[in-house]
Amino acid sequence: MRATEAFRDGGRRVNGAPVLLAGLFALTLAVGLPLSWLIRDMLATHLGSSLAAAPAASGINYEWWQEFVAQASGLGRTFAPSMSGFGAVLDNLQGVADDLPLVSALAVVTAVWLIVWSFLSGGILDRLARGRKTRSHGFFAACGGHFWRLLRLGLIAWAAYAFLFGYVHGWVFTSALGRLTRDVTVERSAFLLRGLGYLVFGALVVACNIAFDYARIRLVVEDRRSAVGALLAGLRFLRRHRLVVLGLYALNAVAFLLLVALYGVAAPGAPRQRWSLVLVLAIGELYILGRLYLKLLFYASETALFQGELAHAAYTAAPAVLWPDSPAAESIANAEPQPWS
Amino acid sequence: MLARCAVVVALLILGGTALPGQPTARGSAPQPPAAAPAAASPPLSPRNASYAISARLDPGSRSLTGDELLTWRNTSRRPAETLQFHLYYNAWRNTRSTWMRERVRVNPALATRPEGDWSWIDLTSLRIIPRGGTPADLLARARFIAPDDGNADDRTVLEVPLDRPVSPGETINVQIGWSSRVPRTFARTGVVGDFYFLAQWFPKIGVLEDDGWNTHQFHSATEFFADFGSYDVRLTVPKGWTVGATGLERERRDEADGTTTHRYAQDDVHDFAWTASPRLLERTAILEQPGRAAISLRLLLQPEHAGQADRHIEAARATLTRYGNWFGPYPYSHLTIVDPAWQSGAGGMEYPTLVTAGSRWLAPRDSTTPESVVVHETGHQFLYGVVASNEFEDGWMDEGINTYAQGRVIDEAYQPNYYTKRYFGGFVPWVFRDFPLQRVGNRMAGYRAAARSDVPSTPTWRYSPLTAAAITYNKTALWMQTLERLIGWPAMQRVMSTYYSRWAFRHPKPDDFFAIVNEVSGQDLTWFFDQVYRGSGVFDYAVQSIRSEREHVRGYVGEGGSRTFASGQNGDGYVSTVIVARRGEGIFPVDVRLVLEGGEEVRWHWDGRDRWKQFQVVKPVRAVSADVDPDRVLVLDINTTNNSASLAPRAEAAARKWSLAWMIWLQDHLMTYGFFV
Repeated sequence: MRATEAFRDGGRRVNGAPVLLAGLFALTLAVGLPLSWLIRDMLATHLGSSLAAAPAASGINYEWWQEFVAQASGLGRTFAPSMSGFGAVLDNLQGVADDLPLVSALAVVTAVWLIVWSFLSGGILDRLARGRKTRSHGFFAACGGHFWRLLRLGLIAWAAYAFLFGYVHGWVFTSALGRLTRDVTVERSAFLLRGLGYLVFGALVVACNIAFDYARIRLVVEDRRSAVGALLAGLRFLRRHRLVVLGLYALNAVAFLLLVALYGVAAPGAPRQRWSLVLVLAIGELYILGRLYLKLLFYASETALFQGELAHAAYTAAPAVLWPDSPAAESIANAEPQPWS
Repeated sequence: MLARCAVVVALLILGGTALPGQPTARGSAPQPPAAAPAAASPPLSPRNASYAISARLDPGSRSLTGDELLTWRNTSRRPAETLQFHLYYNAWRNTRSTWMRERVRVNPALATRPEGDWSWIDLTSLRIIPRGGTPADLLARARFIAPDDGNADDRTVLEVPLDRPVSPGETINVQIGWSSRVPRTFARTGVVGDFYFLAQWFPKIGVLEDDGWNTHQFHSATEFFADFGSYDVRLTVPKGWTVGATGLERERRDEADGTTTHRYAQDDVHDFAWTASPRLLERTAILEQPGRAAISLRLLLQPEHAGQADRHIEAARATLTRYGNWFGPYPYSHLTIVDPAWQSGAGGMEYPTLVTAGSRWLAPRDSTTPESVVVHETGHQFLYGVVASNEFEDGWMDEGINTYAQGRVIDEAYQPNYYTKRYFGGFVPWVFRDFPLQRVGNRMAGYRAAARSDVPSTPTWRYSPLTAAAITYNKTALWMQTLERLIGWPAMQRVMSTYYSRWAFRHPKPDDFFAIVNEVSGQDLTWFFDQVYRGSGVFDYAVQSIRSEREHVRGYVGEGGSRTFASGQNGDGYVSTVIVARRGEGIFPVDVRLVLEGGEEVRWHWDGRDRWKQFQVVKPVRAVSADVDPDRVLVLDINTTNNSASLAPRAEAAARKWSLAWMIWLQDHLMTYGFFV
C-alpha cells in the first residue's frame, strides 16, 4: 500500500466518523470550559468592581493584565498575553520543543488529559479500524477493553519520552549545541544550528512516536494483551515498511503544518468587542476542530496502512471471540468462511 | 627595551602637553601635529586624569600589553599619600574575586567556565616620573586592597604608597606598564570569536575626594566612576581589522610586523573603550541640528545586521536631538555606535563617545529592538558621559534617570510599538499587535516583583545582585515619571536642563539633584525623596468601597417652632460615599474623584496620610464610580486595578471574554500534548 493511498483511506475513515470527531471536540470543550470558568472566577475576583474591567471588557488592558499575572497562582499563571491568537500555538509548540516546565496545576490537567486519551484511544482506533459505526456501547466497550493494555503501553511510552526529554533534550540543546555554538558570533549560524538540533531531536521523537503509534494500532487491531509484545510487533512492522511509514507520517506532518500556517494567517488575535470574541472563538474552535481531525487522520491513516499491509489471517493473532469482536476478528470473518461455524 | 623607553618618553611629552595647569610643560614641549586639534580645544572638564596609552592586542595569545602615562592632578583638598588604581581584568582571575562571588549567586554556571575564559592583568612597572629626577619605581610596594568587603583574594584595586604626598593642585606623572589576558566576556568586556570589545582594560586611577579615595572593587551589579581627562591612545591590532574607539581616529600607521596602529584621541572624557574585529561593516551619517554643531555618527555593524543600519542611526539621531532639546547640547562632535557580535555579551553599554547597541538577526520593525538599547546608551552620553555621577554608589543617577528619559524618546519617536515575545531559543520573534506598549507603567512589572528589595540610598554596589536592576532602573524611572506628573513636564524639563548644565563634567551626588528639583520646582519635595530614595516602601492607594443611595432623614429637622421629627422619609437627593484606603507604606497626596450619573464629577484632595478616609456628598443623582488618583500622577502605585470602583462593574464581562480566549489556548495545549498518545 502506498502512503498516499493510506492517507486517503485514513481521510475516508475519519470523514465517515463525524460523531467521533464531534464527540472528541465536545470532550475538549468539556475539559476546557470548566477550567476556563476557574480562570473566569480568578479574573472576576481580581477585577472586582474596578473600572479597569471596562477597558478589559471592550479591548485590552495590558496594565491590569500584568497586575493580575503578578499575583496569580495555579492555572492563573498561564494567563499571559502570549496566549492570545497565534501566540497560543507558538507558546505550546515551544513548550514541547524547548521542554519548558509546566505550571504544576497545568501539569496535572495535562496528565489527566493524557490518561483520558489513553482510555479513548482504544475506542477510537477500534472505530477507525472497523471503518463502520460501533455505537457508543461498542465504542466504550472497546475503550474499556483496551484501556489497561494501552495504559501499560503508555507507561512504556512515558519512560521513552522521559528519557528523550529528560536526558537527550538536555544533551542536544545544552551540551552539544552549547559546545557547537560556543564560539559562534553570528546569530544566523547559531539559529541554523539550533534548527539542526530541532531536526535531530525531532527525528528521535518522531521515531518514538511512530513506534508507539503502530504498537497502539497492533494492540487494538490485533487485540493483543501484551504491551511489550505490541511494541515489538509494531517495531517489526516499521522495520519492514519503513519507507511507506515515514512517507505517511510526512504527509500527516505536512497537513498539520498547513493547518498551523492557515491558523497563523487567520487567527484574529486578542478579542475586543463582543463580535470580535465571537470571531476569535469561531476561528479558534475551527482550528481546534482541525487539530482533532488531523489527530484522527494520523490514527486512521496509520491504521489503514497497517491493515492494508498486514491485517489478514496469516499475520493476526487469534482473538478470543468476545463481544465486541476485535477488528481483526471481523476482518477474518469477512475474509473467509468461519471455521467454527 | 629601548623602543619601550622611547614610547614612554613620547607619551610623557604628549600627556604633559595635553594638560591644563602645568606651567612647566605647556607651550614648551613639541606637540605631534595629529594631536593638535584635540589638544587645542578649550577644556570643558578639569582634565585631571589624562592618559597617553600605547597598547598591543595579540589575538593569537589573546593578550593585551601596554604602557600608559597617567598625568594626574590632585583636585581634592587633601594631600594624596597613596595612589589607588582599578585593575578590573582581575575580577575574572578566579572564583575568589568579589565580582565572581557576587555574580555566581545569579549565574552559578559562571564558576564552571573553562580555563581559556579567565583573565588577569599584571603590572610590569609603576613609576612616578619626576621632572628632571630619577624615576621612582613603586611596584614593589604596591598591594591589593579591598575597601568594600575586605576580600583578601580580590585583586581589582591596587594601592601604592607614595614617597612624598601629592599636594592639592599638584600634578604628577605616573608611568605604568602592564600585560593582561583578555577574558571571554564575563561583563561586557572581552572576546568572542574574533570580536573584541575592550573596556575597563587599562590600569585606571580612582577618584580622590576630600574624604579620601573613592575606589571601589569591581562588583557584579555596578558600573564605574572616574575623573575627566584627555586620552591619547595608540592601539596596535592585526592589519585589516576595523577599530572603533572613544574619540576620533587621528592617525593610522601600518607596521612592519603585519599590524596596524590606530591612534585615537579625545578630551574631556572619563573612560576609554574600544573594539576590534575583522568583520565589522562601517556606516556613517551626519546629524545636522539648527543652531548646533553637527555630530558625525559612525556605526560599526555586524554583517548580519546590515539591513538595520538605518534603524541604529535613526535611534541615535532621535536621542541626540531630543536629549539636546530637553537637557542641553551634546558637547562632542561625534559618536560611535558598535553593534556587538552575537554572544559577545558586550551589548547595551555606555562609554564616552562610544556605545554598544545590541540587535537580533530577526528584528521586526514594530518592536523596539535595536532602538531601545541605542536610545538608552546614547542617552548615557548625557547622563554618565557628561554628568558623571558615581555609578558605584549612585547607579540610579545615570541608569534610572536615563531610563526615564529613554522612555520619553521611545514614547515620542517609536509609537506604536508592541509587546514582542521571542520563541525557540529566543531566535523567532512574534509581535503581539494587540498589545501596544505604553510609557506609563511600562517599568512596573519588574519593579513590583522586587519593590522592597533595597533602599535606593544604599550604595549601589551593596544592592542585591538578584534585584539591583529593578531598583536602579525601574524604580527610578517610575518615580521620575511620578515627579514629572507632580510638577509638570515644563518644570521637569527645566530640572533636567539645570541639572545638566550645572553638573556637566562634574560628579554630582544625589542631594545635588534633589536640590535642583526643589529649586526649579519651587517646592520642597524632600518628603517625596525621603520615600522614593531613602525608603523601600511601596505606594498603593485603593477605593475600598463606594455607595450611593437615596438620602433618608430620621431625627429632628428644622429650627425653633418648626422643628419636626423626621421618621426616615426620603430626602431630595442621593448620598454617595467613597472610602479610600492607603494599603502601602508610601504617602502621597492624591485626588479622589466621584463620577455621577450624567457625567458630573466631584473631586476631593486627600493628603494620603491616614490609612483610610471617607468622602461623602449629597447630589440629586446617583454616583457611578469613584477612583483615587484619577490623573495617574502616582505612577509608582503598584496596584492600579484597586484604584477605582464602579457601581456597575464589568468584571464579569471582561472575565468571561478573556477566559474564553484562554480556553482556546488550553485546548491547543491539550492537543499539542495529545501528540504523545
